[in-house]
Amino acid sequence: MVKINQNYKIKMEKITKSFGDFLALDDVTFNLDFGEVHALLGENGAGKSSLMNVLSGIYAPDRGEISIDGKVVNINGPSDSKFLGVGMVHQHFRLVKSFSALDNIALSINQASYYTEKDNLRHKILKKMDEIGFELDLDNPVGLLSVAEQQRVEILKVLIAGASIIILDEPTAVLTDEESHGFFKIIRSLARSGTSVVLVTHKLKEAKEFSDKISVLRNGKMVDTVIPGELDDEALINLIVGEVFKEKPQLSNNFGEEKLVISDLNLHRTNHAMGLTNINFKIREGEIYGIAGVGGNGQAELSTVLMGLTKLNSGSIKLAGYGDITKFRTDQRRKCGLVYIPADRQKYALAGELSVADNYAVSAILRGDLGSWMGVQKLGKQRSTSEAIQEFDIYGVQRLNQNAALLSGGNAQKLVIAREFSSKPSVVIAHSPSRGLDLKAAAFVHKQLLAARDAGAAVLLLSEDLDEVMLLSDTIGVINRGRITAEFASPADRQKIGKAMVN
Amino acid sequence: MNSYPTINKRKGVKLELRDPMNFVNKFIVLILSIFTGLFISFIILVLSGVSGSALWKEFVVYIFTSEKNLSSVLIQASPFVVAGLAAAVAFKARFWNIGIEGQMIFGAIAATYIAINDIGPGSVRLLLMFTAAGLGGVFWILLPAFLKIKLDVNEIISTLLMNYIAFNFLLHLLYGSWRDPSTGFPNSEQYDVFEILPLLGWQSLNFSSVIAVLLVVIIFWLFVSSRFGFVLNVLHASSDMAKYMGIRVSLVILIVTVVSGFLSGICGFLVSSGIESRMTQSFFLGFGFSGILISFLARDNPIGILVVSLLFATLVIGGQSLQVFYQIPFAMVQLMQAIIVMCVAASEFFIRYRLIFSF
Repeated sequence: MVKINQNYKIKMEKITKSFGDFLALDDVTFNLDFGEVHALLGENGAGKSSLMNVLSGIYAPDRGEISIDGKVVNINGPSDSKFLGVGMVHQHFRLVKSFSALDNIALSINQASYYTEKDNLRHKILKKMDEIGFELDLDNPVGLLSVAEQQRVEILKVLIAGASIIILDEPTAVLTDEESHGFFKIIRSLARSGTSVVLVTHKLKEAKEFSDKISVLRNGKMVDTVIPGELDDEALINLIVGEVFKEKPQLSNNFGEEKLVISDLNLHRTNHAMGLTNINFKIREGEIYGIAGVGGNGQAELSTVLMGLTKLNSGSIKLAGYGDITKFRTDQRRKCGLVYIPADRQKYALAGELSVADNYAVSAILRGDLGSWMGVQKLGKQRSTSEAIQEFDIYGVQRLNQNAALLSGGNAQKLVIAREFSSKPSVVIAHSPSRGLDLKAAAFVHKQLLAARDAGAAVLLLSEDLDEVMLLSDTIGVINRGRITAEFASPADRQKIGKAMVN
Repeated sequence: MNSYPTINKRKGVKLELRDPMNFVNKFIVLILSIFTGLFISFIILVLSGVSGSALWKEFVVYIFTSEKNLSSVLIQASPFVVAGLAAAVAFKARFWNIGIEGQMIFGAIAATYIAINDIGPGSVRLLLMFTAAGLGGVFWILLPAFLKIKLDVNEIISTLLMNYIAFNFLLHLLYGSWRDPSTGFPNSEQYDVFEILPLLGWQSLNFSSVIAVLLVVIIFWLFVSSRFGFVLNVLHASSDMAKYMGIRVSLVILIVTVVSGFLSGICGFLVSSGIESRMTQSFFLGFGFSGILISFLARDNPIGILVVSLLFATLVIGGQSLQVFYQIPFAMVQLMQAIIVMCVAASEFFIRYRLIFSF
């Protein structure tokens, strides 16, 4: 245990918060020291976000006491917590996309006059940027900035508002490895200047590497607070999930014929999207072909081109049994057995305002199962959905008619996978399938991909998480600026792959 | 330091997000907001000099005690229903068809062309007029649909502007070659007997009600039960997901616009052949825009469209009496429609939030 220091920046004591019957936080005590980076680890739904939402005034706790700088405070809403110096950077940014960074910051701080104060504000921001050492375009619409830059705008927003406590909710979920490193440098320099930082994350590695203390939540309870060096991975994972849990690679030993042959794919570069240049690779039956690479190097474009959602400029896609499918539409490709797990499931894979049953049954209904054009079989829809919920262990479904938006990340992804695998797929295209998922849910996703592979499908796994690619792939290609720059057979050397990713 | 809870409630009015409301509560809020709109309209009419008892008589007593007035309401309701359906079909696919008015005009023009040129044998003349009206409506929506699908031109603007072209083209016909030769009025000549929708045998109720009800049934099936309706629901909820699931979004939008245009054309036919018995300028009544409001109030639900159309028709018939007996301008009816719509739109707020008073 960590030594008790009476002079904490923040003490949250015996915080309890329930939603109906569900106890989100159960008697949680959390202390944050001056100038420390404190990682908050836990699975999806462990209570990390709830705890931070209490601190930032979004939720009012049922019971408990919060003191800041030794004084008990009442936090009645986000404006109170802001006044007390608590700033939160949300996982999903709250920026006006068409405003410049300067205007976004001006908007968030309630200054006396927008026009007369604008120059002052600019100086203040530039000074701050100089202090913590980062660069940012203040004048172009933030919608044109990269995700990493947008995140800097969010951080500046809370700093300029005078925050001395910064809460970062899954800050690296949207960043590449390289960007993450730059990001943590900034965070460290913030901490050195006395700012206290709470880092809410799933990622064990970054918690160990970049934080001073780690607190672990499980099922709404605070399990322990430890110093990163004290425990090895296994012990830490044990704290998080309550049992020892580590995935082991399982290579395929049963390759079949060449299933998907991609030759000379070319896609012109646009303002919004990376192009593709001379992409060539083959996937055999029963093989997982992993594509490693820093995010934004053409992964999204490659996957949408393969699904027929983006028109390519030249090249061909051949599928065993169907020949050249380059000119096929998305629906025709799906009929050939292609299935797709897109990276942004909330936007592309699910419709939040449709029911769980509709989201699940949509592929079957479009295939022509479950009734005819005259009528959709409502009962069949319900029955097949509840079977899938059983089989894929989807939690949080009280009624089949409830909106899919109410599912948590992991369960939403399980629903997507259940649907995509409901017909025996011949080709699976999975783009960052475990992004934002906790360890257990990620392992479940991996198990499903392996099962599809073992059933003879050709699986294309595009992931920015190198560990995931190395764990699952039988062959690894590296994508860099829209080209496949290297190819390795598993087990491959991590260093070499890493080098190919950034060269 | 030792007293719980430590969180003080602030005084005043506070907003709190609600859990998503269930269907029954939403329905109750909808009904309450319609009544609020009626109540505000009632106050405005009283302020403009009509006594409360007169309003009660004109809008309730005379309409529901006189068979003649009741049948007028039903006749008036039919084009409202069909215009509402035309709007609902398009809105389901998030194609904002503001051009129902113009498509109605072209539907009626096509039907009138068949009628005054005596095309086809008299026995199938109505059927020909019906079909021509539908196709006329389709004709007038194809350009905006094409612009939307191929060039992503905003359909709100294009369909809206097409209304004005249609209306001026109608005036061009009525003041020009189609002017009634026997009276000299800017109407087409009157339709022949076999070009007018037949009476059903009760008061002046005619076949337009049957067509409206049949269309409600068909659209209800389309929305609630058919596979295409399911596709529309998916598209309505997320066009991104629809695309990724392999739904051919452009094709669906094309089908939807064709159906919406066809229904609008039929609506024009119901006005010219079911109410006016000739081509007039009466489209000024704003059936097309009322259709949009009706579909909005009914949340694109065909049964709801039927109910709201009856309400709107009652307002129109009652409003006509007010116009005659109390010199209240007919614009007052449109004002009432607008107030109801605003109340319903405002009620969304209460569906999402709860007000908490603490003093």
